[in-house]
Amino acid sequence: MSEWLQHAIAHADSIQDGFADQRATSLALLTDTKWPSRKTEAWKYTPLRAVERSSAVFKEESPELTPVDVEGLDFLELTFVDGQLVSMPEDLPEGLTIEMQESDLFTTIKPARHIFGLVNDVLAADVAVVTVAENVKIDSVLRINNLLSNGAQGHIRVVVELEAGAALKVVENAEAHGATLTTAYTEFLIGAGAHLEHYRFALQSGDNVALGGSHFKLLGKATLNSSIIGFGSDLQRIDTDIIYAGEKAEAKLNAIYLLDGTELFDLHANVEHAVPNCTTEENIRGIAGDRSRAVFNGRIHIHRDAQKTLAELNNRNLLLSDKAEINTKPELEIYADDVRCAHGATIAEIDKKALYYLQTRGVSRSQAQLMLSFGFINELIDQMPTAELAEWVRPIIRDRFAQMEVK
Amino acid sequence: MTEQIDKALAREYEAGFVSAVESETFEPGLDEDVIRRISEVKGEPEWMLEWRLKAFRVWQEMEEPEWAHLSYPKIDLQSVSYYSAPKSMKDKPKSLDEVDPELLRTYEKLGIPLIEQQMLAGVAVDAVFDSVSVVTTFREKLEEAGVIFCPISEAVHKYPDLIKKYIGSVVPTKDNYFAALNCAVFTDGSFVYIPKGTRCPMELSTYFRINEQNTGQFERTLIIADEGSHVSYLEGCTAPQRDENQLHAAVVELVAMDNAEIKYSTVQNWYPGDEDGKGGIYNFVTKRGICHTNAKISWTQVETGSAVTWKYPSCVLKGDNSVGEFYSVALTRGRQQADTGTKMIHIGKNTKSTIISKGISAGKSNNSYRGLVRMNPGAEGARNFTQCDSLLIGDQCGAHTFPYVESRNPSAIVEHEATTSKVSDDQMFLCRQRGVDPEKAVSMIVNGFCKEVFKELPMEFAVEAGKLLEISLEGSVG
Amino acid sequence: MSNENVLLSIKDLHASVEEKNILKGLNLDIKPGEVHAIMGPNGAGKSTTGYVLSGRDGYEVDSGSATLDGQDLFDMDVEERARAGLFLAFQYPVEIPGVSNLEFLKVSVDSQREARGEEALTSAEFLKLAKEACKQVNLPVSFLKRGVNEGFSGGEKKRNEIMQMILLKPKLCILDETDSGLDIDAMQVVANGVNSQRDSERSFIVVTHYQRLLDYIKPDFVHVLADGKIVKSGDASLAKELEAQGYAWLQTEPTEDEIED
Repeated sequence: MSEWLQHAIAHADSIQDGFADQRATSLALLTDTKWPSRKTEAWKYTPLRAVERSSAVFKEESPELTPVDVEGLDFLELTFVDGQLVSMPEDLPEGLTIEMQESDLFTTIKPARHIFGLVNDVLAADVAVVTVAENVKIDSVLRINNLLSNGAQGHIRVVVELEAGAALKVVENAEAHGATLTTAYTEFLIGAGAHLEHYRFALQSGDNVALGGSHFKLLGKATLNSSIIGFGSDLQRIDTDIIYAGEKAEAKLNAIYLLDGTELFDLHANVEHAVPNCTTEENIRGIAGDRSRAVFNGRIHIHRDAQKTLAELNNRNLLLSDKAEINTKPELEIYADDVRCAHGATIAEIDKKALYYLQTRGVSRSQAQLMLSFGFINELIDQMPTAELAEWVRPIIRDRFAQMEVK
Repeated sequence: MTEQIDKALAREYEAGFVSAVESETFEPGLDEDVIRRISEVKGEPEWMLEWRLKAFRVWQEMEEPEWAHLSYPKIDLQSVSYYSAPKSMKDKPKSLDEVDPELLRTYEKLGIPLIEQQMLAGVAVDAVFDSVSVVTTFREKLEEAGVIFCPISEAVHKYPDLIKKYIGSVVPTKDNYFAALNCAVFTDGSFVYIPKGTRCPMELSTYFRINEQNTGQFERTLIIADEGSHVSYLEGCTAPQRDENQLHAAVVELVAMDNAEIKYSTVQNWYPGDEDGKGGIYNFVTKRGICHTNAKISWTQVETGSAVTWKYPSCVLKGDNSVGEFYSVALTRGRQQADTGTKMIHIGKNTKSTIISKGISAGKSNNSYRGLVRMNPGAEGARNFTQCDSLLIGDQCGAHTFPYVESRNPSAIVEHEATTSKVSDDQMFLCRQRGVDPEKAVSMIVNGFCKEVFKELPMEFAVEAGKLLEISLEGSVG
Repeated sequence: MSNENVLLSIKDLHASVEEKNILKGLNLDIKPGEVHAIMGPNGAGKSTTGYVLSGRDGYEVDSGSATLDGQDLFDMDVEERARAGLFLAFQYPVEIPGVSNLEFLKVSVDSQREARGEEALTSAEFLKLAKEACKQVNLPVSFLKRGVNEGFSGGEKKRNEIMQMILLKPKLCILDETDSGLDIDAMQVVANGVNSQRDSERSFIVVTHYQRLLDYIKPDFVHVLADGKIVKSGDASLAKELEAQGYAWLQTEPTEDEIED
């Protein structure tokens, strides 16, 4: 066990609430779990030095922080600062409830195997539960803010439940002000015929450590449209699980990572087709510049009875520098024969022909490279269903490109 | 339709007979003493024994790998015999006339006649029976061209400088658990040296046969293609049908010097066990080649046998412009498990690799492709293309793909694609509507699926591989 | 009609797909050398007729009989029916990647010859025949080397079907909407291929939704299939009549689940 983990666990003893039993169970599991090393498959390319070295602490008092504005959107804000819930939306639309869970929180959507999921079980104090009642469609966007002040450590957990036929848009937004460490896990139960539009923005670059996950369980005919956009940091790791528990459900996951400096970003996307007739489409695109390192693992698991599954994963990467590194591992595990399953992964440089074409039109080489790289990412931004969010994030990405040195 | 396909897949294992040969076999067990005895019966020089003992000590510190998608009971290495040789081989027969006729009959029955007049013209064979090489054909003819093709145990005596220089140079002793074990206890195998600028005048081939009960086969093959040379090498393997599992842990090392080319083809047909998974060979093999400047190594494998296969023929593309290829067909049925694929390590500039893997899973089997493509920082302009296709037959099997792709060079391009499909009812219906038997239809569709790989096999082997699949897919249809 | 000189005889055939009754008392007799067109609205059971006769999985015969040359078709496996001389040209021919057209055709022809006790053709003989067949349907010979229907256009697939028919020399050919998706030129090529195979022995069932194919393949009889049985039969002029009137006059009050379809 690492020293960091020992300290963290020691802190857990000081938390007094109704979760003591569950916490003890997770703690026992955690104690049994080997601290990941290069030999641990799920952490093969992602060293945990940044966690071990982190000096972020549990703060008694936190400064007031407010999340970034997004033009044209009036969010329902659920805001955590340094792991403590500081604000809940006041006027909730009918059919939407948000409560602080006092006990019995641990749902089964987040896989038990994940070491930092267990850390979060042990350390998350305030747990919010969001529920959308049957057939209620919420127009406003719910934003879950995970804000961290300099030097702070925070652990948050939100559970979102959409009852049958409900619809909700959720943004998970993380902002780190300085050297911080966080674990943030969100679990979504999407009821029969319900629709979730989901975004996870992990744009906190710099010397912070962020570990977390978005985990989805879909019942029959449920639909999910999820977009994950990440910049790297000292360590940025996101685990997402899509679990089909009812037939004819559909999920689409688009993810983007864009890395600079010495940043590290690791996305693990796991899809469990446990029932027949479900459809998954994943488009993952990444760019690694300077001395950064990108890690992607995309697993699709078709269980024995999951006939008529359609599942496709496409991962494309651009490597911009000879000091950067991309490691990708798309995996298929298939136990049913009547399925259509495919994955593809490429790592390449910018299309030379397109580059040449732009140059013949008078565009400078570096400008042309930027245009093409941006276009590569922008294709997925264009697919974001809520236009205001696309319009908000597009210039942020453009700025990042402008800062990146393209060789 | 699935039921018909399943029946079409039922088959007999034609190589499952046992030869009545009197053998000298070590008692089961593994310790330093056993290694000394192996070295002693082989009459090895001291340096070889030292190398083995060093490997043994390394191995003792290692653990059996568990990362593969395989499940089998832990192998009790103390219950295995590490040496078995026909008694008749003790006197080292000088010519074919002196070889025990029962041994010759064994190979004849397997379709590998060792009498030169009956042999396929253009193929030289080294026949390895349990722990020893029985005979190597066409040696004189090869010697005329300067090509060395002999049992590795003989090469230790005759060409100690080459052995010392290259053994363990591609697969280091400590590479992995099974390779280390092989270093300690290997008994025989083939040694090939092709001199500079020489195109080997014949196909070279080694045929491995396990016969004795409770023995493991630990062979070692070393092929050195000197600058500008060319060789095509074939490997085949079978074993009797037995209820116990038997271990086969081989090491193959290939060295392709500047501008050399090695084509290595395998048709692996070890006994796969019965329908319920009883018996069969545990096949744990380490195969790797190193390519120097402009060199090319091409691995082609057709894997239909073994209860468990753990095998990743790989290329280290060290020299600029070198080329690595891996073409594979793996068919699993019954309760067979295969975890096989390749590693392409791109070190030199403008290196190229191609991976074509076709996995066919039927019955209750599991078939996994596991591969690594690594572009090192210096692999300027390197290219890889990987295509992994799985064909599932029935809903009780599994087909898996575990590709690792790592790039650290911005000018390198890696492309990986994987698909799965099944023998569709529509395809079967079309074939049958045109009058074709269901079993012929399955075999035709499966052969079509494998075509890209079969066309890489040398002619003689392509026919054998096609037949092997056909036999694998043969059976009664009700 | 219990004439001995009947090639195909279908009597009161009832058949279903996924427990839904599609054919509901089909009767049809075809003599050697005759060309019968089966027309009718979508969902009438036109394609089902071809699938039931050829023995496709999932197409269940509930009652009735069908004989080819006096042999009970429903007693035979799919390939046995093919060897007995029944050929189905598919509306949507399936692709078989990696299996070359030539290999596929040789195996098919060999299987059928073997079943008839004839000697297999040598590769050279067969190749010659295959090349001629290609020419007849205007397919480049290079198509023989390509995978079965792999990457073929719609028209090429249909011509490939006719090419197979030419090589297999069946007694009864069922052309299932062979005209669908073809332009006039392509349809003419297909029709010429079919017409070249017409003789006093070989019979055809031409299943089509539209009359236009029948301008090129002149039928001896035209039947209108509606709701699983033949509701009207006549000569070629019936097709013209249908062209003018459409099928609406045939339809009685549709049932609820038909509306859903």
